[in-house]
Amino acid sequence: MSPIRLIRRPWAAAAALLGVVMLCGAAAGLASASHTGRPATPPTGTPPLVPVPKGKWAAAPSPTTTSVPRPTALDIPAIGVKTRLIRLGLTAAGTLQVPSTASVAGWYTGSPRPGETGAAVIAGHIDSYAGPGVFYRLKNLKPGDLVYVQRGRGTLAVFKVTAVRMFPKTRFPTAAVYGPVPDAQLRLVTCGGTFDPATGHYLSNVIVFASLRPGLRPSRRAAAAR
Amino acid sequence: MRAPRPLTRLAAAAAVVAVTAATITLGLLSAAPFASASTGVGWIRLAHLSPNTPAVDVYLYSFRDPSAKIVLHHVSYGTVSGFEQVPAGDYTVAMRAAGASPGSKPVLSTAVDVVAGHAYTVAGMGPASGLRLQIIPDRLSTPPGKALVRVIQASLNQDVVTVKAGHATLARHLKFASVTGYRVVKPGTWQIRVVGSSEQATVSQPLMAGSLYTLVVLDENGHLAVDCLMDAEGSKVAPMGAPATGLGGTAARPGGALLPWAAIGLTGLLAAGTGLVLVSRRRRPALHSR
Repeated sequence: MSPIRLIRRPWAAAAALLGVVMLCGAAAGLASASHTGRPATPPTGTPPLVPVPKGKWAAAPSPTTTSVPRPTALDIPAIGVKTRLIRLGLTAAGTLQVPSTASVAGWYTGSPRPGETGAAVIAGHIDSYAGPGVFYRLKNLKPGDLVYVQRGRGTLAVFKVTAVRMFPKTRFPTAAVYGPVPDAQLRLVTCGGTFDPATGHYLSNVIVFASLRPGLRPSRRAAAAR
Repeated sequence: MRAPRPLTRLAAAAAVVAVTAATITLGLLSAAPFASASTGVGWIRLAHLSPNTPAVDVYLYSFRDPSAKIVLHHVSYGTVSGFEQVPAGDYTVAMRAAGASPGSKPVLSTAVDVVAGHAYTVAGMGPASGLRLQIIPDRLSTPPGKALVRVIQASLNQDVVTVKAGHATLARHLKFASVTGYRVVKPGTWQIRVVGSSEQATVSQPLMAGSLYTLVVLDENGHLAVDCLMDAEGSKVAPMGAPATGLGGTAARPGGALLPWAAIGLTGLLAAGTGLVLVSRRRRPALHSR
């Protein structure tokens, strides 16, 4: 570029120079800003080895099934989850109680028992203040994965995952989680999505939907109502 | 320089549309749920409610599929199966005499359109001489804190019945082979009383909030009986809001704001680009010489 041309068009030259300076400044600023951030801890690596629990698989509930035993523990070998189940009720404000520790999950006692007709609700933390919680890998579940709920009297209610979804908390699907359903189902609930440091809460929930995978069907005769 | 040809302009417009469409599609795909079952599901159950019809084999076929999805053998009067979760779509229910060959002509058959999120009871109803397959839709929601109950009258001996839960009337003068709508009931343990033309029957039944029930009035060994079936169960109380199940220990922590720097960079790029173009432009040749 000949110097004569530059002198002939001083404003254009000045604009070009200013532009280059701004570009360099922006590059430096971006580099510094991204260094102070911390990316989300991605749930990679192999999850802990959790064996498939032994026990008789529960049959599908009949229309006149009396109450089934209460749930005691939850095992999800596909994502390395193994936890006892505590009981969760409602807070004074009418919201779902959540476990006081991130290392255990809890069954909402106002929901049907796992293996009964209806959707049993189990909730657990995705993380604590310091690191991963019991449901850290929940969103890694895929349709077809099996979820094992241990109950009193040794029976296992085994569920097959049908869907894994994330919802903003402002649009929590109350009916889909707590509403009546005509067969035995399970809902696993945790948090997910963006974390808002101003409020200390995640902005979304991750919900896993699963249906009972019954054990030996009650022979070829219809499940009698009487 | 010649003006761009119309075809070139058209090609350019098409390219812009294609790129925009691709970008929008990618954006939508990235917002989709991470892993989910393909289509919706519904529920279907089968019942034999014709007092003087012998036992039957009941078949459920997916539309156009000759191999039955479900077969219930030797279903006798009074039997109601549990609900089976099925993909939404068209189905056929067929009844054959118990033990009849699966290839034989059914005694009765009907088409059922299972809509996603809906449940259906397909019942053999009426007297043997007038047997029909009735599709009874099942509701899957209750008013908050309440139970819903309805009655199916399947007693031939007691032609007309009145059914009460405590003082609440669930069915008044209900004729044989009829179904009531759902009635709202306060949760609790109720004395269900069925009064027929010549007999009565009573059963004590807990009815839970958030659940739906069907009372089936039957002839049992020549006497009046009533079965209480739980059609669907839900949480007794739905918690408010969304569970707070995360404390942020694994969440991303934002660094300094990136947007202002990006804006500066973009402006700088435009300025530098414009400046360089202007500097390097050739002078247009003079149209007229001085």
